Amino acid sequence: MGVKKRISGCVATANAVKLADVEVICSFPIRPYTGIMSELARMVADGELDAEFVHGEGEHGQLSVVYGASAAGARAFTGSAGVGVTYAMELYSPISGERLPLQMAIADRTLDPPGDFGSEHTDALCLRDQGWIQGWAATPQEALDLTLLYYRIGEDPRVLLPQYACQDGYFVSHIFGDVEIPDVAQVKEFLPPYKNHHVLDPRNPQIMGAQMEPAMGPGMQYQRYQAVESARQVIEEAHDEFGRIFGRKYAPWVEEYMTDDAEIAIFMQGGHSETCKTVVKRLRNLGEKVGMVRLRTFRPFPTQHVREALAKFKAVGVVDNSANFGISGGAGVLLTEARTALYGLGDKVKTLGFVAGLGGEMITHEEFHKMFGKLKEVAKTGKTGKENFWLPFEL
Amino acid sequence: MTKENLFEEPGLKQITVWARGVYENKEARDVVVAITEAAASEGRFVQAWENYVDLPDRIYVPVRAYGKISDQEIKSKYVYENEAPDIVALTEETLVKGVNILEGIKPGAVLVVNTRRPAGYLFKFIKQGTENLSKIVTVDANSLAKSIITLSGAEGATDASGIGKGMGAALAAAIVKATGIVQFESLLKIVGNKNAAKKAFEMADVVEVKTLVRAG
Amino acid sequence: MSVQVKDVPFAGTVPSPKTENEGMITGSWRTRRPILDKDKCTDCRMCWISCPDSSINLTNGSVSFNLKYCKGCGICNEICPVGAISLVPELDFEE
Repeated sequence: MGVKKRISGCVATANAVKLADVEVICSFPIRPYTGIMSELARMVADGELDAEFVHGEGEHGQLSVVYGASAAGARAFTGSAGVGVTYAMELYSPISGERLPLQMAIADRTLDPPGDFGSEHTDALCLRDQGWIQGWAATPQEALDLTLLYYRIGEDPRVLLPQYACQDGYFVSHIFGDVEIPDVAQVKEFLPPYKNHHVLDPRNPQIMGAQMEPAMGPGMQYQRYQAVESARQVIEEAHDEFGRIFGRKYAPWVEEYMTDDAEIAIFMQGGHSETCKTVVKRLRNLGEKVGMVRLRTFRPFPTQHVREALAKFKAVGVVDNSANFGISGGAGVLLTEARTALYGLGDKVKTLGFVAGLGGEMITHEEFHKMFGKLKEVAKTGKTGKENFWLPFEL
Repeated sequence: MTKENLFEEPGLKQITVWARGVYENKEARDVVVAITEAAASEGRFVQAWENYVDLPDRIYVPVRAYGKISDQEIKSKYVYENEAPDIVALTEETLVKGVNILEGIKPGAVLVVNTRRPAGYLFKFIKQGTENLSKIVTVDANSLAKSIITLSGAEGATDASGIGKGMGAALAAAIVKATGIVQFESLLKIVGNKNAAKKAFEMADVVEVKTLVRAG
Repeated sequence: MSVQVKDVPFAGTVPSPKTENEGMITGSWRTRRPILDKDKCTDCRMCWISCPDSSINLTNGSVSFNLKYCKGCGICNEICPVGAISLVPELDFEE
């Protein structure tokens, strides 16, 4: 069917954009997402992809260009990383409020603490409540697949929302992995041409982003809330269809790895889960009852599915690859989300927060091993003590 | 939980190629890509990538490209620097001076250098890590093919200029001759400049380090 | 590997290098070493003005090279109006 290649996450994403026949692309360079745009620029220059390729004057400009392009009825694509992502902050809410299903790829980069440029989920997590679909790819293959999945989900008439297709910078975006690039016919079957029911068209003039009085505000926000909620069903349908057409079956919400009869587990998202898997496998070989649950869709957050997945463990370690200062629980966003999902189960499942892999460091096998060691201790004694750990300094 | 040797990957081979920023980035990447693709064609598990923290947009700065080859699925795929190379290659001879090129090498590791000078002369400049070095291989790759200077393929993008058309093909062939990491025929199928590879395979001079120590 | 907290500069602030930056020694970037022919040199100081890395020292009016930082870019060799600076392969020198 498709072609197998060894490519980076950046090239995988670019291939998906090409397969999705995107019509308008707006670029501005910042590592580590840059490779996506240089690949797309090459595709356009070589005549492989027929798209308008616009050089933005910054990330705010980038998002403005694709905002307009999507409003005019084009399938549009942009991307960024780190402080580039946050520089465009103003545009995210109006784009989802306008219900324009454009896509933005994010290859994570830390938010200059200052000076560092390594991978960290903090950039994309800043955007988490802007009414966009959001999730993380753990491999180059999944980066390609997310782009196709998200266009289909976002463009569904029941949803009409933009999407952040995220991948860990460098680890996923730069290190080559085995990728099956599907063929055009498969993608055509999966992803119908983009049609929005409100389009800027001189033959049928309308105002987008019209002045609204505060009295309209609550209703507009509620519309967006409903769109995000109705995306849940569409996400499940899209994943079913994806599996049928491409033969790669992803759990839409949470991927469970060796969780049968597991007593302790790590809950996390993104590329470092690949390292965690190898640790789980080794510990299983030694007879330890350990597992991993990987979150695949972060927004909308699958509260129910996370609860069901985590409720069976005695202790769960939530790994946050983001810096969240002063947050409840003293670790990261995922810990607070996981604890909210577990609310109602009382103290049945102990949860610990692990902040790890900040600033572009990998989360090592040894670090995961230590986390499991801590969880095992908590599961055995039923007591937690300190509940948040910043690695490698506190564990 | 036990910890001893839990995460060892005994069958894993690591290749680190050092190069000079901008004008040899591509050749360094070509060496690891050509060898890992050749290994993949033999059914092995591979990885190839460039160091993210080096400064590849600065002319002459030492930069690294990495390859990993294993008979089993690679477990350490996000260990982003080769910590214990089996093979170290230099696209440019001066890297022996003032750069700790042999850091972390495994016992029996091989050093392959693009140079016209004899191994014994280069050996004098290497201040650290030689106790684990078994062979030095020299090949005058510059005489066989030029370095192709391009930013195509930087930052993880596809290299539209092709693989192994320049000096990297010759360096990769010398590595294969000295280490047998892949079949030479597999490498030849991948690289563009097959002539340079063939000549380098003949020309490459493999010297045992212990003979150098004795001489010195 | 992560650097321990105590070894990370507070607030990412480090002392400004006054004469040299020990954190960025660039001599190992050099493949060719500049060599001055003192007989030809007219002390015009064009090399000193042009060196992008301030790796040419001026002492009592005459120039010398700071090889700890010289990247071997060769601009001094290009700019010298009398051809007094040549570039020699770095490995020709044992030190």
